[in-house]
Amino acid sequence: MSDTHSPDNSQAAAESPAPDAGVHASGPRSDRSDSQIPGAPPMNPYLAGMFLGLTLLASYLILGVGLTASGGFARMGAWLEHKLLPARVETLVSIASWFPAPLSSYLVFMVLGVFAGGLLSALTAGRMRFTVERGPTATCSRRLILTLVGGLLAGFAASLAQGDVLGQGLSGAALLTTGGFVFLGCFLAAGYLAAWAFGRQWK
Amino acid sequence: MIATLFSTGQLNAPLGLAVALAVGFCFGLCLEKAGLGSSRRLSGLFLLTDMTLAKVLLSALVTAALGLVAAQRSGLIGLDAFSLISTTLAPQALGGAIFGLGFALAGWCPGTAAVGLGSGRMDALVFLAGVVLGSIVYGEAFPWLAPLASVGGQGVTFLNQTLNATTDQVVLGLTGAAVFAFWVCEVVERGPAIARPGVGRLFLAGFSALLCLGSLVALNLPRVSIPGGQHISGASNIASNNTSGQANGRTTGQNSEQTTGGQNALGVSPEARILADAEAGKGRLEPVELARRLMARDPGLTLVDLRPKAEFDAFHLAGASNISMSQLPEVMADKRGQGLIVLCAAGTTRPAQARDALARLGFDNVVILGGGLQEFFEQVLKPASLRDELFSAEAAAKIQTARQFFLPAELSRPQAPGLLTPPGPLPGLADATWLAQSLNKPGLKVVDLRPAAQYDSGHIPDSLSLVPDNLRGNVGGLPSQLLPGSLLARHLGLMGITPRDLVVLITGRAPQDATLAAMALERLGHSRYVLLKGGMAAWTASSLSTDKALPKVTATRYPAPETADDAPDAFTVNGLEVLTAMTDGKTVIIDASPADAYSGDLPGDGRSGHIPGSVNRPFTEDQAAGPADTVTVRPLDELAKAYAAIIPGKDRPVIVLSRTGRDASQTWWILSRLLGYTNVKYYGAGWAEWASHPEWPAVASPPPAKQDKKS
Repeated sequence: MSDTHSPDNSQAAAESPAPDAGVHASGPRSDRSDSQIPGAPPMNPYLAGMFLGLTLLASYLILGVGLTASGGFARMGAWLEHKLLPARVETLVSIASWFPAPLSSYLVFMVLGVFAGGLLSALTAGRMRFTVERGPTATCSRRLILTLVGGLLAGFAASLAQGDVLGQGLSGAALLTTGGFVFLGCFLAAGYLAAWAFGRQWK
Repeated sequence: MIATLFSTGQLNAPLGLAVALAVGFCFGLCLEKAGLGSSRRLSGLFLLTDMTLAKVLLSALVTAALGLVAAQRSGLIGLDAFSLISTTLAPQALGGAIFGLGFALAGWCPGTAAVGLGSGRMDALVFLAGVVLGSIVYGEAFPWLAPLASVGGQGVTFLNQTLNATTDQVVLGLTGAAVFAFWVCEVVERGPAIARPGVGRLFLAGFSALLCLGSLVALNLPRVSIPGGQHISGASNIASNNTSGQANGRTTGQNSEQTTGGQNALGVSPEARILADAEAGKGRLEPVELARRLMARDPGLTLVDLRPKAEFDAFHLAGASNISMSQLPEVMADKRGQGLIVLCAAGTTRPAQARDALARLGFDNVVILGGGLQEFFEQVLKPASLRDELFSAEAAAKIQTARQFFLPAELSRPQAPGLLTPPGPLPGLADATWLAQSLNKPGLKVVDLRPAAQYDSGHIPDSLSLVPDNLRGNVGGLPSQLLPGSLLARHLGLMGITPRDLVVLITGRAPQDATLAAMALERLGHSRYVLLKGGMAAWTASSLSTDKALPKVTATRYPAPETADDAPDAFTVNGLEVLTAMTDGKTVIIDASPADAYSGDLPGDGRSGHIPGSVNRPFTEDQAAGPADTVTVRPLDELAKAYAAIIPGKDRPVIVLSRTGRDASQTWWILSRLLGYTNVKYYGAGWAEWASHPEWPAVASPPPAKQDKKS
């Protein structure tokens, strides 16, 4: 709420991320002190949200579909499974239709775009750090195990609901579809409940 | 109107992939700029320490929603240009909850994790590995989850429909709620746990006002349109308008009027609802329409049969190609967006799955055959002679043409004349010889009314077992009443009987069972029935074959008669009508009960005796033992003579009754169907009802002198 961050920020920005990156990658030396997220301060969230909304609007007007990332990862999963167990995949009703080329889908390209956009922005703002983000008291392995479990649940849920919090929640709700709001409501309810139970990892 | 890449089927074409990459890039840029490439910040949402995600999402939600409403209101774009996710409550609610749990555990969602990975976060990489695994798990578990995945399915529905509000109310409510939430977020975030950009009150007030103003503007944008369905939102859009029209025509597979109507009806809530409904019904092509297009050899139509090869080889519609679901996208690749692809199978489940899967691949021109091949047979190929309704010669010829077009030659030959020739006037009596000759002819249904055990030990081949008491039940408190027409029709339908069938009623030694079943048919207006003279005994006496196999039955829809509750048919009368008739001096009331019941000698009735003035003609009097231990109705001339003595004229009003209506059914049937009495009514409730009314008179008298007591 205050605007007093600018001195820190200029300092952080001055420490160019490129030389640091290797050091961080080799060891989690600076993680303990990482209570402040490095690099330039983020943009005003309301303005960033407005730009995100305009991106979503453009996506709808040009592509006819909303923003989503989970669909692309589901495609990658199908591709991976096909590499390992080709015969098995043909029998799976929900994904058999993605073949023969599960990756040549706009969903995958959108995810690649998200990654590229994030990469470029993080590099230019000096927020690039090879690190495992975690709370001050959580161990690295505990954090990664919780993350993996969370990812499993999220990937499963996104397939079940045909979209994640951005694809189903944001994109669906922006068109005022009932399903989008149902998803968002249940997401928030379960999230607060779970944070109350598992939130310690960040304290 | 502008056409989206989705509506032109180019979503997965190189152009679509490039645009998706660019859109994704902006998407990632926005997320990262907002600081959402950090799981610490993201998890702040649920820990109430950093509400950035809520602010960004809500701000984006309102911005996009306002933009989309404005685009639709101004006629720039129609809902059918968007890929809409249908509402399916169970998977969406459950998915939302599980996703919330996963997010709280990991601090990532797939989109932000992709940004996080771009920012070097290794936990994002682990999360994404989990996401990929989770989606594989879903694919593996789908066979078990499939039932759940469709629970609460409502098609595409919008919040205003669900809340029963107008779009304006929803948009204003959403904007208001978002602005309120912004201020709550600012209050909730306590202390600078994570670096956050400062947001002054002045800015937030200005931003809130901007959104509110924006919602008012978006909702009140004037529609840029020209009467006649042409929408111009800019001078350059005329060309794309045409493209869009064509694309929509392909998409819906329906006539262009519907599409134009849909385009005209955008924006306002009720019209959007209609459009959404049209959208929901859009993915199917009705059998009759498919038949018309196939017979017209429509070059734009591609018919794909998804059944296994063996079934396809056994029979398929002319012009269909057999492609398995997994090969479908590959084989159909060059048909993407070209013409109309129709998917069919026996039912609709697999085609619908394949259609939705193709839609996700950007095939916007795929529909399924409504009702599947089963319905196609029912509506297009079923011979006129097997249908419930009667057809004009012209309509029947049309069906025959379709049969010749679609069916192999040996199946499409004209059927034997539609209706089976009966042995004599209907309804009536038939003998075993005629039945033996008519067996296996289409349109003959033999109904065996004997007890189940006798039926099981040997019956006329292909005959259907029916216990007569299943035609009766408690109706309005009166026990053992013939059931209402709607239930009887359902019952006959389940037995595979249609109004055009000639029904043969078979009994053991009780012709009154056959006449009771005849009353049920009469109640439905079904007069194409005969009673087998002498019943089953006559059949076995002629050494005709029996078997123990159960017939194969395909249920039909027997049309239910439209009747009022108090008058189930034209011939049934109730107690009050009998009470009136009792004193009118014209009506002959005939009691078909056994003589001892009539006289009141038989104990066990709640109240013994008979209606004053009624004549006793026990039903057994009308039966005679035939050859080979058969029981049948007496010869016609004997019956005519006996009843001429009781009833003065053929048009005299007559009411017949018995204890529960079964015995009286025989008298009613003989009088009205064999002897030609024209005004015979049936008091089905009979003595069972009469005796329960103490205020209705009854007499008990000694039986007439000449009485042989057999019952």
